[in-house]
This record gives sequence, C-alpha cells and structure tokens, in this order.
Amino acid sequence: MFKTFFLSELKYTLKQPMVYIFIFILALMEFFATVSDNVQVGGAIGNVYRNSPYTITIHITIFCVFSLLMAVAFFNNAALRDHNNEFNEILFTTPLSKPGYFFGRFFGALLVSTLPLLGVFIGMLLGTYMNSIFGWMDTSRFGDFYLETFINNYVLFILPNMFLAGSVIFAMANKWKSTVISFVGGLVIIVAYIVSGSLMSDVDNETIAGLSDIFGINTYAIETKYFTPAEKNTISPGFSGILFWNRLIWTGIGILILMLSYFNFSFKKKNKKVKKEKVKITNTDTVFKLPKLNPTYNTSTTWIQFKSFFYTNFLSITKSVTFKILFLFCVIILVADLSGGFEYFGLQSYPLTYKLIDSIKGSTNIFTIIILIFFSGELIWRDRDSKINEVVDATAHTSFVSMAAKALSLICITTILNLFFILIGIIYQLLNGFTRIELDVYLLDLFYSNLALYIVFAGIMIMIQVLSSNKYIGYFISILVLLVWEIVLSILDVSTNMLNIGGGGSVFYSDMNGFGSGLKSTLWFNLYWMLISVLSLLIAGALWNRGSNSSLWSRFKTANKEVPKSYRGFIALTFVVWLGVAGFVYYNTQVLNPYRSSDTTEQLMVDFEKKYKKYEDAVHPKVTDAKYFIDIFPNKRDIHVKADIELTNESNQAIDSLHFFNGEGWDTTLNIPNAKPVYKDTTYLYTIYKLTPPLQPGEKLILKLENKYITKGFENGGGSTMIVKNGTFINNGDILPTMGYNESYEISDQNTRKKYGLEPKKRTPELTSELSELHNRNYINNGQSDFINVETVISTIKEQTAIAPGSLIKKWEENGRDYYHYKTDTPSLNFYSFMSADYEVKKRKWNDVDIEVYYDEKHPENVDMMLDAVERSLVYYTENFGPYFHKQCRIIEFPRYASFAQAFPGTMPYSEAIGFIINLEDETGNNVVDAVIAHEMAHQWWAHQVIGANMQGGTMMSESFSEYASLMTLKGITENPMKMREFLKYNHDRYLRGRSGEREKELPLYKVENQGYIHYGKGSVILYALQDYIGEDKVNLAMKNFLEEYRYKKPPYPTSLDFLRHLEPQVPDSLNYVITDWFKEITLYDNRLKEANYKVLDNGKYEVTLEIESSKIKSDSLGNETQTSINDWIDVGFFMDDAEEQLYSQKRMKFNKEKSTIIMQLDSLPAKAAIDPRHILIDRVYKDNIKGISLEE
Amino acid sequence: MSTLKINNLSKTYPNGVKALDNVSLELENGMFGLLGPNGAGKSSLMRTLSTLQDADSGTATLDDIDILNDPAELRKVLGYLPQEFGVYPRITAEQLLTHLAILKGITNSKERKELVNYLLDKVNLYEKRNKSIKGFSGGMKQRVGIAQALIGNPKLIIVDEPTAGLDPGERNRFYNLLADVGKEVIVILSTHIVEDVRELCTKMAIMNLGEIVYHGSPQSAIEDLNGKVFQKIVSREQLQNYANDYKVISNKMVGGQPLIHVFSEEHPQNGFEQVAPDLEDVFFSRINTSNVLV
Repeated sequence: MFKTFFLSELKYTLKQPMVYIFIFILALMEFFATVSDNVQVGGAIGNVYRNSPYTITIHITIFCVFSLLMAVAFFNNAALRDHNNEFNEILFTTPLSKPGYFFGRFFGALLVSTLPLLGVFIGMLLGTYMNSIFGWMDTSRFGDFYLETFINNYVLFILPNMFLAGSVIFAMANKWKSTVISFVGGLVIIVAYIVSGSLMSDVDNETIAGLSDIFGINTYAIETKYFTPAEKNTISPGFSGILFWNRLIWTGIGILILMLSYFNFSFKKKNKKVKKEKVKITNTDTVFKLPKLNPTYNTSTTWIQFKSFFYTNFLSITKSVTFKILFLFCVIILVADLSGGFEYFGLQSYPLTYKLIDSIKGSTNIFTIIILIFFSGELIWRDRDSKINEVVDATAHTSFVSMAAKALSLICITTILNLFFILIGIIYQLLNGFTRIELDVYLLDLFYSNLALYIVFAGIMIMIQVLSSNKYIGYFISILVLLVWEIVLSILDVSTNMLNIGGGGSVFYSDMNGFGSGLKSTLWFNLYWMLISVLSLLIAGALWNRGSNSSLWSRFKTANKEVPKSYRGFIALTFVVWLGVAGFVYYNTQVLNPYRSSDTTEQLMVDFEKKYKKYEDAVHPKVTDAKYFIDIFPNKRDIHVKADIELTNESNQAIDSLHFFNGEGWDTTLNIPNAKPVYKDTTYLYTIYKLTPPLQPGEKLILKLENKYITKGFENGGGSTMIVKNGTFINNGDILPTMGYNESYEISDQNTRKKYGLEPKKRTPELTSELSELHNRNYINNGQSDFINVETVISTIKEQTAIAPGSLIKKWEENGRDYYHYKTDTPSLNFYSFMSADYEVKKRKWNDVDIEVYYDEKHPENVDMMLDAVERSLVYYTENFGPYFHKQCRIIEFPRYASFAQAFPGTMPYSEAIGFIINLEDETGNNVVDAVIAHEMAHQWWAHQVIGANMQGGTMMSESFSEYASLMTLKGITENPMKMREFLKYNHDRYLRGRSGEREKELPLYKVENQGYIHYGKGSVILYALQDYIGEDKVNLAMKNFLEEYRYKKPPYPTSLDFLRHLEPQVPDSLNYVITDWFKEITLYDNRLKEANYKVLDNGKYEVTLEIESSKIKSDSLGNETQTSINDWIDVGFFMDDAEEQLYSQKRMKFNKEKSTIIMQLDSLPAKAAIDPRHILIDRVYKDNIKGISLEE
Repeated sequence: MSTLKINNLSKTYPNGVKALDNVSLELENGMFGLLGPNGAGKSSLMRTLSTLQDADSGTATLDDIDILNDPAELRKVLGYLPQEFGVYPRITAEQLLTHLAILKGITNSKERKELVNYLLDKVNLYEKRNKSIKGFSGGMKQRVGIAQALIGNPKLIIVDEPTAGLDPGERNRFYNLLADVGKEVIVILSTHIVEDVRELCTKMAIMNLGEIVYHGSPQSAIEDLNGKVFQKIVSREQLQNYANDYKVISNKMVGGQPLIHVFSEEHPQNGFEQVAPDLEDVFFSRINTSNVLV
C-alpha cells in the first residue's frame, strides 16, 4: 500500500511541470553563480575554487531556504490534493491502509521536494564543464570534483531540511486543510531561522546558535569559519561535530512532528463547528420609503466615488488573511532584530533614531514590497475574481478614479504599516530609557525614501496588472521588473538611476549632517519616478479591461475611441511635465555630474596603466613644505584652495619634466615657474610640464596651486560626502595632485587583471634587507614627500569651526566668515585633513599638551571618557616610547558616512558611528571606544614618528604596534587579567576569520602586505603574547630603541627586519623560537585538555591530573597545514568559578611531546582547568582548552 | 417615456461564433422579455446594451444617448444585474450597496442611507444588513444583486436571468418589485423560463443563434398558433418516426412516456388531439422551425 501511494505521488508530481521548472531555475542560478562574478550567492568567492566543496555547500544551504517555498507546494499538494478535488469522500470510503496512505504520500513528496536542489549540482557541473570549453573564466579558478561533496550535501542538508520542513507543512496541511495556513508553516520555519541567525552574531552563543539552526546554515558557517582556502577547496561537509548533532536533533524533531501528525490523522471528516447564530428578534416597525433621489455626476461625485473605492479596497486588504500573516511576520522579524540591540564589540550603542530606521528598513522592506506586489494583483483582479466586475463596470465612474483609489489604498496600507513600525521603534527607544526621539527624522525619512518607493511601485505594478491577461502573469512580470531588471541593468553595465525603477540618490541620515548631500537628488528622482507612476495609472485607467475580457489590442482601440479629450490632455500634460523633470534630472546627473559605470571605470584604469606605466620610474621632486589658503562653503558644498607647495629635487639627477595626475572633479590650475605644459590628457587628467632650465639636485621651486571643487546640481547617486553642510572632511591627498604615475590607480584584483591581459601585480614590494630605492619611500607618501611643515589659513561660515593640522596661531573674522591660522609645531608626514562643522569643544590640559574633543552637540555622553582615554595614552606612551612632539591631541567627530577613526598629525577624526553613540554608562573597565582612541593616539608615535618603508611588513610597525599599545593602556586599567581575554577574543577572531577569507595569500606577520586581519588581528595577539612571555618592559624597550633610531628621520625608512634587530637582544635564548614561529612563519597551536581529574590528599590538599594534547601547526600561504613537533612554553591554570573569572595557580610549563600528563597539588579545589587559560596563543579551537574538573574514580 | 432603439447590431467573436446577427429592436417603457435557449446571444445583447461589450456594427440608442459611442452617459441611467452576480468577500450587504450607490451618483449621504435601507427592506435583507455577504445563500446574494440594479433612477434596467436560484416565494417578491419600477422605465428581462415572460411582460422577443426570431407581444404570439398545435403520447421507439413525419415542436415526459406537441396547419389525425397553445409552444416552435415560419 505504501508503495502504491509513494509511486503514485511520484508519478503525479513528475508529470507536472512544476518540479522541472524549479530544477531549471536553480540550475540556471547556480550556473551563473559558477561562471560569472556578477552573480553571487552568499558572498564573494575570492581565492576559493568556484566549484570547491565549500562553495557548493554554501550554495546548497542558501538555496535550501529558497526551495522551502517549493517544498510547501509539494507537501501541501500531497496532503490536500484529494481534499481539494473533493475526491476524499470517495477515496476514504475505500478500504485503505492508513500508514500506507499517509507515509506513501509524505515520502513521495519528500523525494520530489529534494529534486529541485539537484538543479544546483547540475548547474555547478554544467558551469564547470562549459567553462572548460568556453573559458569565460580562468580555469585555474576551478578545482577537482568530489563525489563525496554531492552525496554529503544531499544527506546532510537537502534531505534533512526538506524532511523537517515537510513534516511541519504536511502536519499543518492535514490539520487545517488550508493552503494559506501551510504557507504560514513555511514562514514560521523562516522566522525560526532568522532568530537563530541573530543569536549567532554574538560569538559566545556559537554552540547554541549552531544547534538551534534548523537548516544548519549557520552551523556550517560556524564549523568552517576558520577554514583556510586550502581546506575550503578540499573538505566536504562531514558527519561530525555540531553539524552532525544539529542534523540529528532536527531530524529527530521532524520524526516527532510527523508521528504526532500521523496519530492525529483520520479519514473521517471532522464535524465542522457551526457557529450558533444569535437569534435576535427585532421588531422593527420602521417604514422604509424610497427617498427622492438626485443622482448627480460632477467633480464632487468623482471625489466621493474615489473615497468609496478607496475605502472598499483598503478594507479588503486589511481584512485579508495574507495581509495579517505578512503583517505579523514583519512585526516578529522587527522585534527579533531589535531584541538583539545594536551591538558593537560587546557594547551597545544608544538606540538612535537613525539606527531604528535602518533596522526597520532592513527587516521589513522586503515584506512591504511583497505586500505591494501581492495586493496590486489582488485589487486589480478582485472584481473579476468576485464576479462583481460587470456591475461595477456598468456604473458611471471613470476607470482612472478606480485605479487611483487602488493605488492609494496600496500606498496607505504600506505607509500605515511603516508608521506602525515607527511606533514599535519609538516604544523600543523608550523602553531603553532613550528619550531623544526624533519623530521628524522618522517621518521625513519615510517621506523621502519608503513613501516614494511605495508610490512608484504601486502605480507601476497596477499598470502591469491591468495590462496582463491574468493575475499570475501580472505577478510574474512585476517580479521580473522589480528584481530581474536590476540584474539586467548591472549586466548591461547601466548605472543610471533614471532606468533603475524607484532609484535615485539615497538619503542616509547622520546626526551631524541630517539627510545629507543625496537629499536633493533623492527628491528630484522621487518626482521623476512618481510622475511615471501617475502616467502608469493614467494608462492603466485608459486601458482598464472594463466589461468582458478583451485583448490588449482591442482595449487599445476602445480607449482610442472612448477616452475623452480632457483625459488625453491630462496624460499629455503629465507626460510633458515628466519630460521636463526627466530633462532636468538628465542634465544634472549626466551633463553636470557625469559618472562612469563600473565597466567603464575598469577599462579606464586598464588604459591608464597601459598608457602611463612607462612613466613609473620618472624621477620627481618631493614636497618639502606646504602652505594652504582654504575657503570652505558648507552650504554650497564648495571649497576653494590655494596652496604654495615647495618642491625640492632630492634626487641626484636633474629633473626636466614634471608629471601631474589631477584629482577628478576638481578645477585645477597649476602655476609653475619656468615650466610649460607639453602634454595634456583631459581624460586621464595627466599633464606633463617641461622645466627649462631643469631642476638641479638640491634646487627648490614653488608650485602655486589653485584648486576648486564646485558642487553643481545633483548627482546620480548620493553625491560626494567630502564637502557637506555639516561635517566637511577632506584630505590633503584629495587636494594635491599626485606627482608622476600613480600606482594605486591600477587594478589590483588578480583575476580582473588577467581578464584584461595585464601582468599579475604584486600587492606590495618584497621585503629586502639590503637598501634599495624602495627604502626611500614610506608606505603612506610613497616617495612624494617625507616629514614637512604645514601652515594653513582656513575659513568657514560663522556657525562652524574649521580645523587644520597644528597649533591655532590666530583666529579672526572677515566678510562675515571666520578665519583660522594653523601651523604644525614639528615636521610631520604630508598626510592630514581639513575639517569644518558646527562643533562643541571640550578641552583639557596635560603637561603642555591641549587635549581637545570636537563633537556634535547631540553627542556629549562619552566626551569625558574620551579625554581620559587620550590622557591615559599620553601617560603610557610618553613613559614607554618617548616624547610627544605636537602641542595638541584633537579628536574630531565626522558624519557616519564612514565608520573609522584615523590618525593625522595631532588630529584624529573619529566617526560619529563608532565612538560617540556607544552607551558607556555602565562600563567601568576597558572598552572599545577607549581602545580605538588609544590606537589612534599610538599612531602619533607608530606611523607619525616612525613609519615603515613601502614594502612587506611596513604596516606591522604602525598598525600592529598601535594595536599593541592600545591593549597595553587597557591592561593598565584592567584589574582582572581575564577581562583581557574577552578583549583579545575579537583580535583572535579577526585573524582567524580573515585568513579564511584571504583572496591571495596569507603572509607571516613580518611580511604583512597591508592585510588588516594580519596587522591588526594577528599582530596584536602576537605582541600581546610576546609581552606576556618576555615582559612588557622588554617589548617596550625594543620598540623604544627602534623608535629612537628612526624617529622623524629622512629616508631610508626602516623595515620590519630593523625592528626584529632591536627585538632580538630582548628575547632570552629559551624563547628565541617565538621570533621565528610568531613573526617569521605562520604558526598555530592546537592545544587540548582531554582529562582533568582530582583526588583529595591526606593533607587536605588536592591533586589534580591533567591529560593534555598539544601540537604546533605550520601553515603555508594558502592554508595547507603541516603538524610540527612541539617544544614550547605554554600556561596551565585553573579557574575557581564556572564563569572563568577567577584565575588560580597559573604556571608556565614546557611542552615537548604531543601528549603530556601533568600532576599538580593545589590548596583549593578549582572548578575548571585549562591549558593557555588566558588565550594568548593562536588556537583555532579554543573551547577544548578548558574542562571542568571531576573527581577521580 | 424612453425609447431604446437597436439597429442592425452584429457581433462575431474571434472564434467565429456569431453572437449577434443583425439584431434590431425598438422598446419603450415596460417589461420586455427576452427569451432564448442557452447560447442564443441574449447575454451578448445585454452586455452590449450595458456598455460592457463592443459591437462590430450597428447602433443602439436610448433616447438621445448613443450607447456604443458614449457609454459613460448610458451608465448614468443604467441598472444592471448580470447573469453571474458575485460579491466581495468580507464586506456587508449595507457596505456593498452603499459603495454601489455612490458609484451610481447618489452623493447625498442622507439620501443614500435611506435608499439603501429601503432597498434592503424591499429585498427582505434589512435584518442581515450588517452580515458579511460571503455567508449568504445563493438566493440572498441574488437579492442583493437585484437591490443594486434598482439603485438610482435608472431609465434602463437590464436583468439577465434574475430568478435563477430563487425559491418561488422570492421569485414572486422579485417580480412584484420589478413590476413596480417597470411601469416607468424600460426593463429588459432575459430568461429561458417561458413562464416568467408570460406572467410579467407585455412585449417580448425570442432569440436564437444571434437572431431575433420573434418580436411582439406574448399574447399575439400565442394567438398565431391558435388551432395549430396538437399533442399525442407516443412510445419511445416511435419518437424518431414522428420526428420525421411531423413538425415536432417539443417533447416532454408525462408519466414516463413522451408527450409530443406538433405544429400543423390542419389536424393531423392519427390520434393527435388539439391543444390550446401556450408560450412554451411559441418558444419551441420559433426556435425549431423559424426558417419555415418567419
């Protein structure tokens, strides 16, 4: 019996086109994800093979979510087919076996629902095969084929996921016999999935997150988060670890649900509960009489009709079950999202209004769009579906009125939803005790972005539905237009927002700068699209299928005959207005502010390299002094710069030509004595001047530069964030033209280079010990300049404060503007910024140094703590590294268009997004806001006093050192060493995750090629461990000696080898291995505590026996690992508490074999034992280093 | 007094079916019955008159309104109940009628309220005015449909098979209602139930295959057949022979045996007996033998 139903289910579904369509769709998507970089599933691939086991698994797990909706269709059908065909009464009266019927249907559907995902394998294999023939992509990006990957994926992901989802859906379908409710089941599963995903964002909860993930997607991500590229390329998901347990648990739950449903299932029809109708006897003696009627048809009638249409449409949406489900779903997701708060490195940021706006958009926008698509179809086809169309169509109203009312009800529904979400946001803010609620920001943002989107989509989708011959074709086209169109545009490399439906400059609210530079563009684009929406509605009104079904063509003829003149006039008028707006938008975005698509930019970079690479070695003078006269006009978003730049020929040969590469968007005039322009390339802004007579070695000249950045109209996108109304932040590098060929404009991605036939490019020049020309360039200025004096006269509007590097010498007022004169107190790197905004200032004096925080009046909370942090840094760094040469330390807030902090000489711009809005009220010890300040302060020594040559290892002496210094200041105020472990965890994680996503190759620390995960993550961990092993003072001494040798020195610049030269004398012989292991090679530890037992001794002490496994792993640059013998010092220690806060009896021991047994006598009985209890060594799996202690048996 | 003039109206569907074939009619106030078998073109004609469908050629005017070229004007004076009348789910009878009243130009809210109450009472649904129509029985829904067709001051009321699904009591109520309004306006009632027409209409037309095969009063149509209709109970086996030999208008089962009516100018003898013709005979004789008789 089972077999009969199983096979009949298969036969039935396989005869339907649905399953083949699904297979085809998935195969197609996977095919493109395999052979094209434009299509990405679950993120970029990088160094990993395009068909690696890892890539396939990620794709499979993601497509599993997609195919959930397909599973709903299959399982729901299997459960309800007989019911829906009303065949059940016939079928169930035959002598059927219940298990045969129930499980036959279920497993038939299960097998079918796994088929679409086979499309992923097909797409991947086909893609790989076709690529080997056509070579769309370099074949070296494809690896071997592992049958195991496919089988394991099927057994580990596809089958269990479909089984679980299927059992829920099948159970629900059998229970409620409603397709809508089955789809709710599908949605419930997705919600559970998202909640599990948000748990995962906190590293501590990994095991819980891993086990609770019903699809195992996060579980797989957790298991592989530290996989190296080599591992990703070869290892298939396996039957072990949390992944295995996760699969076991969820399959078990699936079986449970299925069994419950089975026992609940019966062939008998349940008696429907009949609602007793209230019998109400009303004795109405009202006599009704026909009133005298005056049907009128005028403008006010139209208005009343519009209102009535609107009301009935609106009602029909709000009363629909689908709407209620989607609404509930949005709310659940939003609340789930908010419940996680706004985490930032273990801290919470204040629930600012813009944060909530981002949350609301992130969690609900997709659903409001779904509501728009779904109900546009519902409303348009509602009359026909309810068979009332002929009555309504035969009444005297204009079709446009009905269309407009439908559109408005869609817009109102989505807007009301949005307002409701805003209410949730406000309640959330209040619950968190946050009272700076900016209702205006909520509403304006809604008005600028989402409302406009709703209007545009509503109009366009209504037109699509009206023109379509049925609802489903309409849906199909709507989805095509909304989703696929964007992909088509990106494939065609068209980036104008005039074609991207609803597109335009985006608004991005910042507390400092409000809605920002994109607002004007947004408003114009909104108008442009809204007019299209109105036009769509007008067209829909004219072509509305009034009366019996007729083809589009005949409707067109009818419209041509019947549409009144006034209506045509209105269409024409709207069209003309739209044309005008379109012209204006076009003029602004294409003529005034032309932009390039990504392909054109790429091509331009290629041509630039091919054309000008030959000048790479041209000798040019260096900037040796700079004077600026800068006028900032924040309201016009203009900046006028005049600069006198002193150029000195510091080479040993005469220079007869000067090469300049100007900044784009600037109106640049160069005035050079004795020079004539001999070559001008307006595309690449490359100019060559001939110097007569040539500039002899040692000679100087003054380059007079006039540079203007004038903001004109508005742009296709959000516009520049460099010069804004409040929060201008511009670098000297933006103002000064580059001298000579600028290598940083070359394409760096190796695969792209290959595509254009360019030679592979070295990311960073190789580290060499013998001095070369390369040692004459530091990695920031790259030979353009060394340490120079800078003087600036800068002016801005009265409401704002302008800041330039150095001490403020004078401030005055002129022509209603404020002028400031700044001058550096010591020669500094030619690397600084100019800023202007409406600032509050808080100052403190430390010795001779002014500590100043420039902040927005809305963000005073953390300013005192920032001053403390700066002071603490100054104390530690001057004591341990040497004097501070500037007279001021300025922290300057800038808008959240970027979220970093940066160190310039004496000034440190700090994004409003990271330091100023974090809630530090309950923070006593170290925290990330302090850490960032300490890091930037450390750069005042490590980068600004000494800076590495532009070669491998260069960033170690600035970034790793600063991160280390920052950790040291935190360590100074931390009482419990275990708190540092919590802090270091982020650095460990950053390194291990970073190497897992490496696109080219990982390098040892001393050869780091400006790789963040190495110089921040690994560098800080290694230096922290180093000071723990050899002593803080020894490390600091080595650093200080190194600094003293090179401080503010002219070239040659030092390399990491120079630092190691200073470090070596400080390291005792017994620890010499750490220099090789930690700095010069890629070394990981694999320490495990296998057993930890104790017994009580006669003297009342405790004897603890630890079984420890430890090994050391060396990795090559691609992550191929080899185990090496261990001969290292490692800590062993205990915790008195389960929370691992009280460290007890820690000892450093030498481990020289893989398995060791350690026996220790302790006075007290600890709760846990650990190897490397403070987590100072790099260990991919740290969890297994700690174990609870149990009584020996 | 309004006049509806239909001249040479023709419509052929894309699949080749001739729905209207040169239809010409002239109607004045009063109930007008449109009889015809399924597929005769009744609904096509009514849809065309209700501005819901185009004609290929011909004209139709109501007084000075050109229905085909100025549908918007006609809609202002039209009451229409289509063959298939559905309702919005999740909306009450009162809400639906109010909405439709607004669409029909009843803009004064007091008037509208009174009107809706009046109509609900007329169709015996006042008690259920706040119930969702979705839960209504077929007959109740149909009554809502009738109520809406009467909204406003229509000059032309078109009802397409209105009594389908009504029980005899409801049917009577409905006809009374129609008869009330029918005195002052043109009411076109399409049906295939001959009885209805006989009871209600002073004028009628019979349609078949898109053509008007008879146009006049029911009474005169019957008179035309006076003395020309004969009946006989025959056996089933002989039925075919009779069909060959006589002009059989109809056959129906009486007590398990076919009773045939034949048309004949003279008494056919052979056991036939003369009967007084009724409208049903007219109907069947017209649609079966139109080529001979017209």
